[in-house]
Amino acid sequence: MNARIHTVAASLAAIGTLSLAASAGAQHQTAALDRTVAPTPGPSPELHIPTWTTTTLANGAQLVVSEKHALPLVTVQVNFIGGARQYEPANETGLAGIVASMLSEGTTHRTGDQLANDLQLLGTFFGASIGAETGGIAFEATKDKVAPTLAILADVLENPTFPEPALERIKARTLINLTQSRDRTASIAGVVFPKLLYTDAQPYGRSPSAESIKAITRDDVLAFYRAYFQPAHAVVTVVGDVSAADMKREIDGALAGWKAGGSMPSFDYPTPPAPKSTTIYLVDKPGAAQSSFSLGEVGPSENTPDYYALRVMNTVLGGMFQSRLNHDIREVKGYSYGVYSRFAFGRGPGAFRAYADVVTAKTDSALIEFMKQLRDIRGPVPPTDDEMAAAKASLVQSLPESFADVSGVNESIASIYTQGRPADYYQRLIRGVNAVTKEDVVRVAQKYIDPDHLALVIVGDRAVIEGPLAATGIAPIVRLDLDGNPIPNPIRP
Amino acid sequence: MTRTVSPRALVAAAIAVLALGAPRRLAAQHATGASGAPSISIPFQKYTLANGLTVVLAPDHTTPTVAVAVVYHVGSKNEVVGHTGFAHMFEHVMFTGSGHVPYGMHDKYTEGVGGGNNGQTYFDWTRYYETDPSNYLETILWLESDRMGFLLDSLDEAKFKAQRDIVKNERRQSYDNQPYGRETELLGMAMYPKDNPYSWPTIGAMADLTNATVEDVKRFFRLYYAPNNATLNIAGDFDPAQAKAWVAKYFSALPRGAAITRPTVGPPAITAEKRLTFEDRVQIPRLRIRWPGVSVHSPDQYALDLMARILAGSRTARVTKAMVYDAQSAASVNAFSANNENEGTIDLIATPRPGHTLTELETQVDSVIARFKIEGPTADELQRAKAGQQLSFVDGLQSNLGKALQLGQDQTFFNDPSHSFTVDYPKTQAVTAADVKRVANRYLGATRIVLSTVPLGKTDLAAHADKSTIITDPLTEKATSAGEAKQ
Repeated sequence: MNARIHTVAASLAAIGTLSLAASAGAQHQTAALDRTVAPTPGPSPELHIPTWTTTTLANGAQLVVSEKHALPLVTVQVNFIGGARQYEPANETGLAGIVASMLSEGTTHRTGDQLANDLQLLGTFFGASIGAETGGIAFEATKDKVAPTLAILADVLENPTFPEPALERIKARTLINLTQSRDRTASIAGVVFPKLLYTDAQPYGRSPSAESIKAITRDDVLAFYRAYFQPAHAVVTVVGDVSAADMKREIDGALAGWKAGGSMPSFDYPTPPAPKSTTIYLVDKPGAAQSSFSLGEVGPSENTPDYYALRVMNTVLGGMFQSRLNHDIREVKGYSYGVYSRFAFGRGPGAFRAYADVVTAKTDSALIEFMKQLRDIRGPVPPTDDEMAAAKASLVQSLPESFADVSGVNESIASIYTQGRPADYYQRLIRGVNAVTKEDVVRVAQKYIDPDHLALVIVGDRAVIEGPLAATGIAPIVRLDLDGNPIPNPIRP
Repeated sequence: MTRTVSPRALVAAAIAVLALGAPRRLAAQHATGASGAPSISIPFQKYTLANGLTVVLAPDHTTPTVAVAVVYHVGSKNEVVGHTGFAHMFEHVMFTGSGHVPYGMHDKYTEGVGGGNNGQTYFDWTRYYETDPSNYLETILWLESDRMGFLLDSLDEAKFKAQRDIVKNERRQSYDNQPYGRETELLGMAMYPKDNPYSWPTIGAMADLTNATVEDVKRFFRLYYAPNNATLNIAGDFDPAQAKAWVAKYFSALPRGAAITRPTVGPPAITAEKRLTFEDRVQIPRLRIRWPGVSVHSPDQYALDLMARILAGSRTARVTKAMVYDAQSAASVNAFSANNENEGTIDLIATPRPGHTLTELETQVDSVIARFKIEGPTADELQRAKAGQQLSFVDGLQSNLGKALQLGQDQTFFNDPSHSFTVDYPKTQAVTAADVKRVANRYLGATRIVLSTVPLGKTDLAAHADKSTIITDPLTEKATSAGEAKQ
């Protein structure tokens, strides 16, 4: 047994730009109130990063426990390192999600109906999901319901039966969801954009399709289950009103039937294709009231040394309401209800993407503004002191809110293990973000936002927007179908 | 309708609290008494300033943040025909600066210091809220008091027009460009006479949004944005004595407004079944049935809420079990009872699997409901429906924002911030099988709307298409210019 204890409390007072001198308040008591002067905030509250203990269960899975005794609440997550991108066969995209759904369809001890009944009577939140790079089974319960819920979790984890009729029902529902997603412009952009950057030969480029869902058999579900739900790459995280010592005994007991096995997945992603010169990829959705934009390119993985600078840069550009993209395209121009950007950091080369839904008539004007903002952050308009201060505070001072509830703490701690982060990830984040300079922001913008090699995916009413988009002269237009496949451009009159 | 939808968790949490149709998620403190029965409360104190502003303070030092929610008792219900959508557009204007606070300060002193903010408008209320590191409480009070007292001093025509365009884009993004996105406004129009304030949606008609003016902003502000029509709620890591001093400093000088005339809300217009067909840009049709429900003041709301959970949603729910799991005619079936200040609705939504018609789905729904009206719920069904409530209560207590919003809504509707845990919670736990059976028979009657949303040109896919009237949506942009064009 290997036990470590992390105990850290980081003070935020070190953030010089935010801790202004606190003395002006008293003057206002006697003088007439001057409402033009913003009150001076007191000293920043100390930020306590949750602490936790780690041990190893009898079957080799890691156990992480963080005590939080404010309320009689407990969350338990059985997390797995790796997800759909590591465990799905290339031609069965969507299998991971179906396996997660199938877990609630019955065990050797309970039918699907009985599982639903038992969980509802306990009144717990219970669910299974498998995402791109991580997955698991989790619940939240009041303290008195932990033991019986844990017993059901163990049953679901160890004894699922995967009944064939349930698979057919879940596939049918998934196909309907897929069909409905093709009625939404933003969902279409969400499929086409990654396919253009990575191609569907790579995990990052693939999305579930009718073909990939239809191809899934019960044998595929079983094979995925046997490879995936194994202790060797599992981390059980428990947060709430518990004691670490009790939980080791309780979890070992509850999961006694879960035998050692499996291995750590590899995260060796293929090298993404070389970027193409900037192109507008136009997907037609006749009658659409708005055009959905997804603009961007392949980005770095989270372990890039530029991580903190990129977090700050993106926050200045499009991570907040007051960021440049939303301020310009929404607040000043009124073209959209919201404009944002993000880097999809993970173990592999996730994408940088700027996105918005834009009123059809302003599709061309919005693209011009997007391109201006993407160029300006690279040097012509470097970040101001105010932008730097706001971006850093929003990344660091917001941490207490993510540690406010037991599920937030659990997600925060679990991500350290599932994403392969250092144990002092949050302490490093605070130091790293605060050390970023304006020059760093400009440097990483130049390095990771290349206006000459962007995929500009726009899904909208082609008959109305294609001419104006062409007239911007920003890039050539390639027409794609709803799946992102090229369709021939007829010769324009 | 919210000011913004952003990736931030704060907003997601607030939406979970608001979500129309979801069970009301209550923020509460939990302690297990000697009996083992949960006793639930949020410790708070309430007082009123001389100008009529109600203040509710709920200190809790667990997390070093503070949440402030200012709830104004005005919503789309206070609009009139021809000016719909205005209460929500006004909410946007509240973020463009006020007499002593330039544009941008609300964001600078919330998300720019590690917090967040948003505004929400609904039929009955409009609310503004912030979560910040706890040392920014005074700053938030400064921001909120200035727009409560001095909004018109810096009203800017250009910024108003930009916000009007943004709201029109909100309508496009959230309704017009969403599959099935116009069902709720079509149901409101079908349920009520044209002058009933619940007949139009909070987002409003596109034509009305286009016609809104700065003069409308001034009139609305003078009528409704006064301390005596508002509740200021503070929850989280603060010292109550200090908070009271700051509240007095920033709010006590704001003048009381004139007494407010609340709109009269008449009954629904429907007296029999109304069958409607709407063509949308969708590939899969769906069925939605709406019955008139009850308001937040009706004692029947508790049994109706449990009834909706027993009928549809989960795997064990009657209609969902019969259609999604047994007959496998539907991909999904959901139901919910929603309660507003003066009325309410009960909705059931069913999406068919390929090869199954909306007519077939309607027949199956009616058959399960007919049997339920005779049998009522089993003891297990009732227990399951109630069981999750305790966890929802305790879970909600963790969020300072959730607490501030719940206290504010209860004060606005009931003049009692504790209503959710002193009245709603025990009354829901006390509902009997006979209560549920009674409300099923009383409310799930023949007086209802059956709306079929079908793909363009496929009106024959409607449930009992021969008896269903084809309708268009007069509130959209296209309706404004050229009528609902068919593709």
